Amino acid sequence: MSMFRVFISQLAEIDTMSTSKKVITREEWEKKLNDVKIRKEDMNKLVMNFLVTEGYVEAAERFKMESGTEPDIDLATITDRMAVKKAVQCGNVEDAIEKVNDLNPEILDTNPQLFFHLQQQRLIELIRNGKVEEALEFAQEELAPRGEENQSFLEELERTVALLAFEDVSNCPVGELLDISQRLKTASEVNAAILTSQSHEKDPKLPSLLKMLIWAQNQLDEKAAYPRIKDLSTAILEDPAV
Amino acid sequence: MGNNQQETRLSLSGRSEEEILRLVLNRRRCNEGEKVIEEEEEQEQVPTHLNTINSSGGFLIVSPDKLSVQYTNVHLHGHDVGVVQANCPAPTKCLVYYFEIYVKNAGAKGQIAIGFTNEHFKMRRQPGWETNSYGYHGDDGLLYRGQGKGENFGPTFTSGDTIGGGINYASQEFFFTKNGKLVGNPYKDVKGPLFPTVAVHSQNEEVNINFGQQRFVFDIEAFAQEERLKQHMSIEKVLLPLNVSHWIVRSYLLHYGYQDTLNSYDMASKSTLPPIAVVQENGFSEHGNMFALNHRKLLRQLIRSGDIDSAFGKLREWYPQIIQNDMSIICFLLHCQKFIELVQVGELEEAVIYARAELAKFFEIASLAGLVQDCIALLAYEEPSKSPVGYLLGMGQREVAADAVNIMVLLEDPQSCTKSHLEMLLRQLTACCLEKRAINGDQGEAFQLQSVVQSS
Repeated sequence: MSMFRVFISQLAEIDTMSTSKKVITREEWEKKLNDVKIRKEDMNKLVMNFLVTEGYVEAAERFKMESGTEPDIDLATITDRMAVKKAVQCGNVEDAIEKVNDLNPEILDTNPQLFFHLQQQRLIELIRNGKVEEALEFAQEELAPRGEENQSFLEELERTVALLAFEDVSNCPVGELLDISQRLKTASEVNAAILTSQSHEKDPKLPSLLKMLIWAQNQLDEKAAYPRIKDLSTAILEDPAV
Repeated sequence: MGNNQQETRLSLSGRSEEEILRLVLNRRRCNEGEKVIEEEEEQEQVPTHLNTINSSGGFLIVSPDKLSVQYTNVHLHGHDVGVVQANCPAPTKCLVYYFEIYVKNAGAKGQIAIGFTNEHFKMRRQPGWETNSYGYHGDDGLLYRGQGKGENFGPTFTSGDTIGGGINYASQEFFFTKNGKLVGNPYKDVKGPLFPTVAVHSQNEEVNINFGQQRFVFDIEAFAQEERLKQHMSIEKVLLPLNVSHWIVRSYLLHYGYQDTLNSYDMASKSTLPPIAVVQENGFSEHGNMFALNHRKLLRQLIRSGDIDSAFGKLREWYPQIIQNDMSIICFLLHCQKFIELVQVGELEEAVIYARAELAKFFEIASLAGLVQDCIALLAYEEPSKSPVGYLLGMGQREVAADAVNIMVLLEDPQSCTKSHLEMLLRQLTACCLEKRAINGDQGEAFQLQSVVQSS
């Protein structure tokens, strides 16, 4: 190779270094993946944590038997928590409040927002069932006084009472309150509060790790081209676009 | 065509051998080491005092405790600065590094500086005047970055002020504080390793340095916490496909043949998952492997209960090809387990006979010799469970044998994969985090699945 060509090829090298990202081939990347140490025990714990937090009590029991993984919470408490959650999901809010208080009265005492949301849900259920008088009485006696403590409670209360003004609630601006998703929202709020009271994280770890994977891949994209996983559900590695 | 198939088959068996060997060796390594983990998490050295050997000794005096400096000369020019670095560079495998100085006496001109310099720094110059050095100067409040000219940065500082210098590895920025408050805009230009550095340059200037031996004036914990929260928020903003965690858990249970768990899980999710999941299910149902689920479950149960004879029996009945070759790793692993179970129940004589018949021949295979040796060593101890090879007697070792058999059965289905989706995702996550750190010059906190799993 002549001196000139050496010089040119070095220039080209410098050029690619400065303008393009680091390219990691599939072969190199797979080697890196293989070098990662993942312990089965840790994966089992992740799965157990998911089952427990999401309330799959029977599955958690079976998983303990089948894999020997110890749950990070007393499994009996899951049953109680799920009963509360289910009660809210079915619209039996009074029942749910009673169950929460049986479990630990401090949960609602120390969490006025949660208590308000449960009462609001109770009002929604009364309106849903066409019990107008009972609904009004409940709103005035139980909810309005709480609204005085907190401006946002008052706004929520007014929004909810607005349901009474419409004959056809399916078509009114606050109709979403009657949607099943409102129940699910309230239910998950109670669920989180109970978990917190049991000094357990309110969310399972697995979804956070999956989010972290997407985030880490996006960050690495800025600096390198490498095989990435696009579809989490198949976990298939896709070749880098070079 | 037929030829092709043959080839696939061969490479598959090679892959499974490799995979199982990895399982086995991993387990051994895990035993040896908590050591391994400690090695990886090895604590970096943290600056604790000033380096008195490599300081511009002619111009300043370092106190005997090596935590304060004083300029005793009359300064004449730009090359007689009293500079001193910490005893070692700031650690890089963390989220933030921070140290503080207290200006006890601003001296004649208050030409005090705090900053970071690299190992080649000329020890008679102000930090920031030379390339790869950075300094916040007290007399003009300017930030100097590698040249003689400074930039507008923060307030000036003088006697009685506490000034801090820090590196935020998450954002790759330097930051400085005055009396407990951040000053100026952080500067993005961190190329480690960097030494915490202090300079004095006029008569009677005296500065105390706090490397963390005393409480900092600035709330560095809150700063780090906020930085963590920022990162956490940007991660939590990521949207996941609906119910993807649910399906990943399901395919994990399928992969390892945890059939009872799976049944309960499916029963429960029928009533709790929103109806939209049913549509999703069609899309996902092909993921995760139903193959031989019941066989795999039973084999796992047998091995977990220590009944290796029955496991051999079932394999002979259902998948004779898997254990056809008595010198294969899977046979080796099951023989080891059988031996271990014999030791476990105290039938040592029978264990010896079994070892001679089935284990001795594996000594010649280099990659397996270690495990054979560990097994036989069980015989040497009166209380084997308390011995260094006691790890073999635990449930963990049965689990390894069960996982190995599970993989072998799974591979009877040509579409199978030797790893669960969850494992592949976690590997990808770890590799991405490692790579990102490597590109950043190994700066910042390392990602460790174990610590995520164990945190609560």
